[in-house]
Amino acid sequence: MFAAFVQGPLVRVIPLGLILLALQRTIFVEIQVGGVIIQIMMATAAAAGVAGGSERGAIVGFILGVMFDLAEGTPLGSTATAMTVAGAVGGLLALIAADPHWWLEAIFTALGTAVGVAMVPLLRAFIGESEPFQRQLVVVIAVVAAAAALLSPLLVPLGRWCLRMRRPEWKQPVGDATT
Amino acid sequence: MAIYSIGRKRVILALLLTTVLLLTLDLNGNPVIDAGREGFAQVMRPVETATGVVTNPIERIWHGITDYDDLENENIALQEKVDRLVGGQAAAEAAVIEGKELQALNSLPSLSGIDTEVARVVGYAANNLDQVIEIDKGSLSDIEVGMAVVNQAGLVGRVTKVSLTSARVMLVTDSRYTVAVKVTSAADADADVSTNTSPSGLSPSEIADAATTTTTVPAPLGPFVPGVTLPDGSPVPETTLPGTALGPDGQPVIDPLTGRPLDAAQIAALLDALAATSTAPTAGTSADTPSATSPTGSPTTGSATSGSAPTPATTTTTTIAEIIEKEYGALEGRGRLRLPQIIFVQDSPSLSELVAGDLVETAGGSESLAPTGIPVGRVVNRAARPGSGGPLLDIALHADLGRLNIVRVVLYKPLSEVDQ
Repeated sequence: MFAAFVQGPLVRVIPLGLILLALQRTIFVEIQVGGVIIQIMMATAAAAGVAGGSERGAIVGFILGVMFDLAEGTPLGSTATAMTVAGAVGGLLALIAADPHWWLEAIFTALGTAVGVAMVPLLRAFIGESEPFQRQLVVVIAVVAAAAALLSPLLVPLGRWCLRMRRPEWKQPVGDATT
Repeated sequence: MAIYSIGRKRVILALLLTTVLLLTLDLNGNPVIDAGREGFAQVMRPVETATGVVTNPIERIWHGITDYDDLENENIALQEKVDRLVGGQAAAEAAVIEGKELQALNSLPSLSGIDTEVARVVGYAANNLDQVIEIDKGSLSDIEVGMAVVNQAGLVGRVTKVSLTSARVMLVTDSRYTVAVKVTSAADADADVSTNTSPSGLSPSEIADAATTTTTVPAPLGPFVPGVTLPDGSPVPETTLPGTALGPDGQPVIDPLTGRPLDAAQIAALLDALAATSTAPTAGTSADTPSATSPTGSPTTGSATSGSAPTPATTTTTTIAEIIEKEYGALEGRGRLRLPQIIFVQDSPSLSELVAGDLVETAGGSESLAPTGIPVGRVVNRAARPGSGGPLLDIALHADLGRLNIVRVVLYKPLSEVDQ
């Protein structure tokens, strides 16, 4: 069991989550684009989904989300749900292409992040918060998704490292060597 | 590449159900989760401190690139503002002292008797939805949930969560924030205040020279908080709330520009100079306040320059405008980048119409954790609504919530919660 834990993704995801959370709460609060805070943790969850599939993406999103909720004081599970969905959506979109190019990965990461960000006010409404949908929500989604796309060349390999995965290598079948 | 299967769907479903379970437990209040938050905060603190140190240069570069022009313009505007405030301050403080004496005579509630706890802002919310800050004082400093938080300018928000050594403060702009307020008229206040203390045409250094000799008696600053300083190195006064002043009751008299206490001889000399340079004849005012009366019967005050340097004499003539309490309402935050709004208000023909420029302060009340009289802001826009809904008032807050550094938690309990 211990060996399974050590070899599992948790050993890497939790320390990475701590660092990302610290970055989220320091530099990304200061460096805002058009008054919007870039959601690096949400983007990482989506990128992990793109790198490792929907199941692993959801697990990474869940862990990052719980850490975010614990640190931010938001209702525990509210951001975790959104990040779980972001990871799952990123993974589902990645099924479209067997070995996606970097720009496809960027698009998938952006879409997964956008869905996750849109989920946050939806969940807040679900738990009874008044007026969680703000006018600038569209701008927030657009900016955060664009930032996720730009950061995806960093975040997708990071997600692979977290999940102990390697980029798939496609080999030509032996019988087709002459063609 | 991952292949989508029923098993994977179950994992995702299980995770989502777990989040719903956590959400339910947390919303109902769970001590285990609360302890988990405390523990996680302890783990996060060193990581966050280290990250802050590492990323600080990057933040500075970013702000240097993006905010330089704004900063320059703001600096010019602030210099103008300082010029005006230097003149208006002496008059305002005298009026506050007089108000305090009247309040004492009438046994009215006053902010000056309420203790505050000075705290440093250590973090802002990291999401785009909440308007929340974190401060470095908690229940060990007698801070409780619901207490109002202010800075030198006015109301900032209220405490929503408290741990031993930190607390979370929901800002006035958060869409969940509501507080009872009263709208008072300071109509024509600007017109009534005639100030010629900003010597036009002077360079900033000349203005500073003139300003350092301006008498301010007594300054609204109390003893300083040990170990807490503002970014420019100046000390933080200990107990004052916005809208209050300490009377001539033994508290140190501080020059607000230099931050240094004045000794008795200096105060006496400055009071003499003040009386000598007052432009209006004095009549019918308290002898122990530096106020005088203008020919119109309104109190006036003066501030004077001293010393042998040929700095231009500055005189302030202020007519204190009559304050009319127009209406009570509820101030609601509306989220990021939007002005808070006052609802449940109606025009009162017997008083006057609610208009842009009216002042807003907390209304207090027997159950409110925000005592009455904390300045909140000023009405900047009025939107009429059809029917009986009454107008909506947009409020520009006095406090700049984007640049909070030092705040004060008002350690106030309403009468309904005080132990008998």
